[in-house]
Amino acid sequence: MNEDNINSFQRSSLWHDAFRRLRRRKFAMVCFWIVAGYFALAVFVYIAESIDPTMSAINWKEQLGQGMEYQRPSLCSVKTIFGTNFLGQSTLISTLYGVKTALAVAFAASVISIMIGVPLGAAAGYFGGVVDDIVVWIYSTLSNIPWIILVMAFAVVLNDDKIMGGKLSGEPGVYLAIGLTSWVGICRLIRGEIIKRKESEYVLAAKAVGCSNSRIIFRHLLPNVFHIIIINFSLRFVSFIHMEVIISFLGLGDANKPSWGKMISAASSELTRGIWWEMTAATMAIFVLSLALNIFGDALRDCLDPKLRMER
Amino acid sequence: MITNDWHRRLILLILILPTIHTGCRKDPADEKGMVLRQALLSKPQTLDSGNMSDVYSMMVGGDIYEPLYTYHYLKRPYELIPLSADGMPEVSEDHLTYTIKIKKGILFQDDPCFRGSKGREVTVHDYIFAFKRMANIKFINVNWSGWQNKIVGLDDFHEYTRQFKDEYSVDYSKEVDGLLALDDHTIQIKMVKPYPQFISALADICLSPVAQEAVNYYKDEINSHPVGTGPYRLNKWHKGSYLIVVRNNNWRGEKYPTEGEPGDAEEGLLDDAGRELPFVDAVYWTIFKQQQPAWLSFQKGLLDSKSIPKDNFKEAITSETGLSEEMRERNIRLVKFVDPSVFWIGFNMKDKVLGNNLPLRKAISLAIDRERFIDIFFNGHHVAAHGFIAPGRDSYDPEINKCGYSRYDPEQAKLLIKEAELICGDSIAPLKLNMPGSGTFFTQYGQFLQRSFEDVGLTLKVDYMDLPTYMEQTAKGKSQLFASSASAVSPDSLDVLGMFATKNFAPGSNLFFYSNSEFDKLYEEGEVMFPSDQRNELYRKMERMVMEDYPAVFLNHRVSYVLYHDWNRNVKPHAFSFGLTKYRKIDVEKRNKYKDLLRSIR
Amino acid sequence: MPAYIIRRLLYMIPIVFGVLLLTFLLFNVVGADQAVYRLAGNNPTPEILDDIRHELGYDKPLIFSIDSQFVTHVKKAVTFNFGKALDKEPIIDKLKNGVPYSLALTVPMFFGIVVTSVSLAILAAFYRGTWFDRIILLICVAGMSFPYLSYIIFGQYFIAYKYDLFQIYFSPQRSIWSNAALPILIGIVVGIGGNVRFYRTVMLDEINSGYIRTAFAKGLSTRVVLFKHLLKNAMIPIITNTVLTLPYLCLGSLLLESFFGIPGIGGITLDAIESRDFSVISTMTFIFSILFVIFNLISDVCYAFADPRISFD
Repeated sequence: MNEDNINSFQRSSLWHDAFRRLRRRKFAMVCFWIVAGYFALAVFVYIAESIDPTMSAINWKEQLGQGMEYQRPSLCSVKTIFGTNFLGQSTLISTLYGVKTALAVAFAASVISIMIGVPLGAAAGYFGGVVDDIVVWIYSTLSNIPWIILVMAFAVVLNDDKIMGGKLSGEPGVYLAIGLTSWVGICRLIRGEIIKRKESEYVLAAKAVGCSNSRIIFRHLLPNVFHIIIINFSLRFVSFIHMEVIISFLGLGDANKPSWGKMISAASSELTRGIWWEMTAATMAIFVLSLALNIFGDALRDCLDPKLRMER
Repeated sequence: MITNDWHRRLILLILILPTIHTGCRKDPADEKGMVLRQALLSKPQTLDSGNMSDVYSMMVGGDIYEPLYTYHYLKRPYELIPLSADGMPEVSEDHLTYTIKIKKGILFQDDPCFRGSKGREVTVHDYIFAFKRMANIKFINVNWSGWQNKIVGLDDFHEYTRQFKDEYSVDYSKEVDGLLALDDHTIQIKMVKPYPQFISALADICLSPVAQEAVNYYKDEINSHPVGTGPYRLNKWHKGSYLIVVRNNNWRGEKYPTEGEPGDAEEGLLDDAGRELPFVDAVYWTIFKQQQPAWLSFQKGLLDSKSIPKDNFKEAITSETGLSEEMRERNIRLVKFVDPSVFWIGFNMKDKVLGNNLPLRKAISLAIDRERFIDIFFNGHHVAAHGFIAPGRDSYDPEINKCGYSRYDPEQAKLLIKEAELICGDSIAPLKLNMPGSGTFFTQYGQFLQRSFEDVGLTLKVDYMDLPTYMEQTAKGKSQLFASSASAVSPDSLDVLGMFATKNFAPGSNLFFYSNSEFDKLYEEGEVMFPSDQRNELYRKMERMVMEDYPAVFLNHRVSYVLYHDWNRNVKPHAFSFGLTKYRKIDVEKRNKYKDLLRSIR
Repeated sequence: MPAYIIRRLLYMIPIVFGVLLLTFLLFNVVGADQAVYRLAGNNPTPEILDDIRHELGYDKPLIFSIDSQFVTHVKKAVTFNFGKALDKEPIIDKLKNGVPYSLALTVPMFFGIVVTSVSLAILAAFYRGTWFDRIILLICVAGMSFPYLSYIIFGQYFIAYKYDLFQIYFSPQRSIWSNAALPILIGIVVGIGGNVRFYRTVMLDEINSGYIRTAFAKGLSTRVVLFKHLLKNAMIPIITNTVLTLPYLCLGSLLLESFFGIPGIGGITLDAIESRDFSVISTMTFIFSILFVIFNLISDVCYAFADPRISFD
């Protein structure tokens, strides 16, 4: 057996082990299925929209009832279970559509922050020296600026047509702003892990047989810290969903499509006139998703990272 | 238990930290006094009279400064009356020379900038200084653009200031020919050409007397140290949070008006006729950044009056005229008034798609259901706009609705779009609208427009942007469609007509880049005409001329609403005038009982 | 030790320079010109706009020149002479006015969060694995899952307005504590969840180590073990962690401040971004980054003092 196989054997047993442990936790599995349900819904909305945006189940623009006006929640039809917004559009459908917006933003932002953070962190940790100094300098600089200012600044910049020639408003603007500003944590983490592992035997062995640096990083080191990325991803995901709310409230989000953030911010002027359903629906949607994600993420962390495992 | 060192230190820290903070301060206005509590929905930018342009600054500044003229508080139609001037001006035959006397014995408020901290008497030199200061190029000033090429010699002064290092090194002793002090209480102003709006322009706060001592003493800080002559003076301004103004003891004094328009006496607005002003000892202005707390505070009785935000219409008002049951139970009163203004969606006439496509522009107008729009956003209380000269202005044309394209007719709109497609040679490309904000109101407004466009087969993309970006884009002609509005500052309509004159191309007020040589000719004529039936006719003709070309879709004219508690007396809203606090009165006893009332309702 | 501190302080220079560069690029390259239109008032002529640009120095080259805007920007920061905001108020005064209010909001919030979450974490760690532990964890996770904005909007509407327990909005007539009580409470509720989870993990690490077992074995009472041994050792990560969050306290809270009218730094930030007042933002980030670096250093030094195994080499 060469060292590659040993590695992959260790890895697969780690994952195998983790899933076995995870499956034993009933509550975490329930949460997993809730999250999976949200994802399935988002994918469904995405596909349905690209086939036919006027499909009744996802057409949030459809006007219910007579005039454009608020309708209270009523059980007459499925679409008015949560009432309607000021244009008579179903709150239920907007909330469901919001699943796609929220997950798309959180997913894209997570991917962006990992795509930036992981390679930079790995390179810094592995090569050390000047590379390390530069990467550390960049992320120290970023982490020295308060997050909220940074995100607002990025959102403002991305909204401007002077930089890119074209505007990046709307959804891409939101997830780019979040992604570009939040890769520091994962970068720091990966850098630390790589530094810890780069003197380990399998790396030294790989070096001895003449593996290239990129091969060592991508084939040997990163797979061994993959579980850290996954844990980080699952926990990050929740906070990105919450960020979207705040960004929408600040008026930097995509105003053209329903999003939970938009629905909640609308409530800051609607609640006083007794229109509680829009906000309640969006709040509940976020609450259930984050709760499930949080619990599942914890369980995943416990199972994947034995060192951090919580006492049972 | 607490024996460990760190523990004790932690507790000590908790005890000490709060004392670091400034804590509670002594209340400047005595609790027993009559205090008016008002809301501002945005922060005032400045309290320097010379640089004021936003409504919120003027709402506060209006009580501190006194320009030469103002509008009568009660009389309608609005009537200009002298404020710090002594009588109306003497105007020469050719309408080029104005001689104005000012009241004697007007004092500035007491302020450390004066000798002995005692406010000195105001002379006409303080008015002249205000003019010159506005023209000072180093004093970046929002009001100068309106005074270019108006007063003899002032533009030369503007150029002359260019040589100085900064605002304060400018030597103001250089004379301006058009601003002549005949004596300490008489000023003569010479105009370059007749300026019919001159007297109403003198009612603008930005031309209130300014003491040069104050400007030199405070320098840039004058923004937050207003030195005025009005009934109130600033006591405390916590930027972004609240302002307190208190009585100015140096004020010359004035009496409550004894006559108003019919109906005022019944409303109780003349109960205080002839009494010495002001009534209220202090005003607390609180800045609310969010609608919810402002509205809740008003309901709780923590604010004395409040204009109704869009979202609270339904809660406050039920039928055409009346207040909702809940409001009436709380003894809340409602007053509405015509606020001459117009909301529109502008077209950029330089745009390839829209510029030479009249049927398309007309179709867009027909596609929008104004009644519905007003129903949704203003609970049916605004007036649909057929032209752009609003009711309440002197040249409003009651027959403008015959002009044509302000009705809702999606069928005809679709026909017109077919016609438009022929001109284009293709189907109409998606249109893009710039919206000057991204709050809930704007996004809902945008959604409504999108819907309306979709219903006739057009695609609209709405771009919600912050105000600075919006202003930049429109001024540079980079927007295609844009939502906007204009409110009147005087009953005269020249300012809205100016929005269509070629010489006012953006960054001036003509954001449409609308150009019509015939219109321009009439505009030149109209600019120097004094109010008369003839002028009203001309203005109406010009309005129709613009409506032929349809550079914008005019949506609605505002009818403003103010809610106030019944302890707040003498409330009569005014479309143009600021500085109305001096007329207000509070029934403190009644106000103190409001808590009991709320309890009994619950 | 002094050598280490000096080295760390020197390391501050490139970071602060990076902050200056980044804020400059973010705001000046895009946003500056838009402020000009705001200052020009209604209907300016192009000449007036040019005059204003000239007066503000916006017509100078951006970076590559001796008197470029960037050089001026760095000069201002290095000399701590931050100049004036677009509304002509000295920026330092602006911040000085805001910081006490922000602190009045965030300091009680901070202590509330630390004290409650450490106590809850000790209890949860002590009763680990029981229903009590699980319920605390569940409540924490549930609290974290509820959107921040919903807390504020519902809190203001129900707790302050409907049930009349707190003030709805800031008023200068009342003491700051009565004004800030509800936002502080909301802040604590929002902040507890994550902290309890973090501290619980820290406590568990300690509780499993040998010395606690020894202490129990010696027959010491639970109280003594918990407070004297466990907490004392767990203080190291707790302190180093909290020291790092201290600089954030002076930034206030954007949402809480805007809903409850607390005139702190959060509102100033929002205003500055809305009106494109780049100089205010850059001053704020500059001062913040210095604070952050210093507190980072303090945190490391604390760590070293508390744990003799760590050396500065």
